[in-house]
Amino acid sequence: MSDLLTVSHVTKRFGGLDAVSDVSLHVAKGEIVALIGPNGAGKTTLFNMLTGVIQPTSGEITFAGTAVPGKKPATVAKLGIARTFQNIRLFAQLSVRDNLQAAMTHRYVEHFVPIVLRLPSFYRQEQVATEWTDQLLTAFDLTDVADMDAGNLPYGTQRRVEIARAVATAPEMIFLDEPAAGMNPEETAALRTLIQRLQSEFHLTVGLIEHDMTLVMSLAERIYVLDHGKLIGSGTPAEIQQDSAVVAAYLGGGVHA
Amino acid sequence: MTKAKVKVAAAWFALMLAGFILINVLVVVGVVDTFIENMLVTIGINIILATGLNIIIGFSGQFSLGHAGFMAIGAYATAIITSSLPTVLGFYVSMLVGIVISVIVAIIIGIPTLRLRGDYLAIATMGAAEIIRVVINNLKITNGAAGMYNIPPLAGWPTVYVMVCLTTIMLCNFAHSRSGRAVQAIREDEIAAEAVGIAPTKWKLAAFVLGASTAAIAGSLHAVYIQTITPTDFGIMNSVSLLIIVVLGGVGSMTGTFIAAIVLGVLDTVLQSFGTLRMVIYALALILIMVFKPSGLLGRYEWSFARFFTKKEASHE
Repeated sequence: MSDLLTVSHVTKRFGGLDAVSDVSLHVAKGEIVALIGPNGAGKTTLFNMLTGVIQPTSGEITFAGTAVPGKKPATVAKLGIARTFQNIRLFAQLSVRDNLQAAMTHRYVEHFVPIVLRLPSFYRQEQVATEWTDQLLTAFDLTDVADMDAGNLPYGTQRRVEIARAVATAPEMIFLDEPAAGMNPEETAALRTLIQRLQSEFHLTVGLIEHDMTLVMSLAERIYVLDHGKLIGSGTPAEIQQDSAVVAAYLGGGVHA
Repeated sequence: MTKAKVKVAAAWFALMLAGFILINVLVVVGVVDTFIENMLVTIGINIILATGLNIIIGFSGQFSLGHAGFMAIGAYATAIITSSLPTVLGFYVSMLVGIVISVIVAIIIGIPTLRLRGDYLAIATMGAAEIIRVVINNLKITNGAAGMYNIPPLAGWPTVYVMVCLTTIMLCNFAHSRSGRAVQAIREDEIAAEAVGIAPTKWKLAAFVLGASTAAIAGSLHAVYIQTITPTDFGIMNSVSLLIIVVLGGVGSMTGTFIAAIVLGVLDTVLQSFGTLRMVIYALALILIMVFKPSGLLGRYEWSFARFFTKKEASHE
């Protein structure tokens, strides 16, 4: 399989601090790849560079043959990269349905005149978008809450809405930033099935930042480990569990697993 | 279009037609004299202005205090063009010209200022409107501070009524489309909106330009109805009173804007007999509403025939 995402020698410097330094990695189409590391290791900074929120100081990022740095987040989203946020960011006062539909803005481009005059082309497109929304609502088990304000939903459901909204942009790759944070074991188990379905049903490539190691080890096909902005290890879950540098980073130096 | 949609559209059309006939009857019977007609037209113009401002403030969440500036552009475009072309055609041409100039000015003002947030944006848009006013105040073609007078009376209340209906239909259609949702998404969370592919500057600008163009329409109507305009008619206080209508009705509710514009318009007229006490009572009414209903009269509630019909059907079953 060819690489969907390639990151080569990416560095992000905040003043004198190298938040991410000389990181290279690659993700193949259809993979679930996890990025782990202690707090402050630079995981979210790396995610932010991949999604165009911040620009790398140096290095290259290519997604499906297109360079990501220099593009704005909205443009990156159009390339086919979607994401969720560490602290959930929903459109709180919009209904779940409207949250999903807002994410289709760039996919079904509307034109001003058909909108305000409600020409037939408006209704045709509206119907396509509505069908796609209904499919997503069913797939993510959100039909019952479709007309509720997203901000009033329980935490676990909000996570699901956020993931559904990311899928609504029809991406090729989805980045999940600590999706299991604050979830109880049942919710985490449901999340695991959901992420697996992203891969199997929606044919998405998944990039995952997560602290819940059981989740990471059971989901990820490959893992990259970041510490103090540097890549200190990579490999399959089994390899990572044996990696002394990784264990040292998590448990402190000199400890043997 | 499905059957339900036709029904909803028909209901709205019937409502508009009923309103038109009602006013017509009242005029013929004599209940609506010149004084009341004046009030109705003022309310209508305020509705056009405030619904447009609500798209900017309530839907895209951008705090603009420069709405009167765009109204001035429309008013002066009409005043200048109808002075040499005093026909109904001339009036509509001038309205179009006003809209085009407003759109251009809104884009010029919007691109740099819409990057600002909240109170900074309010100050920037207020400054922009003041610039428009000062320019008008100093141009020869606008007759400077003396203003323009003897503008031909090319529009009565029926024209205003039809324009209120048209602009409202357009603005509501925009608000209730996916584009409208994109604009609301930016209000809710700009970072998340960007992450799902909504370019914030583009959509904020779209809402701003739309609001500005309806303000120009209101300005044109104002010019031909009042027949005299001076730069002081479009000062900061006018922008503020439009803001009051939007906030009072409920930010983000078009129905609320309608009700607030009508309530304040009537209140303003009724209180005229109280003389100086008028402003005190007016202010008191505002304070009371804001204390007891901080989200405005209607909050985010929106009247909908679609919901009304489904409810009725549900209760029949």
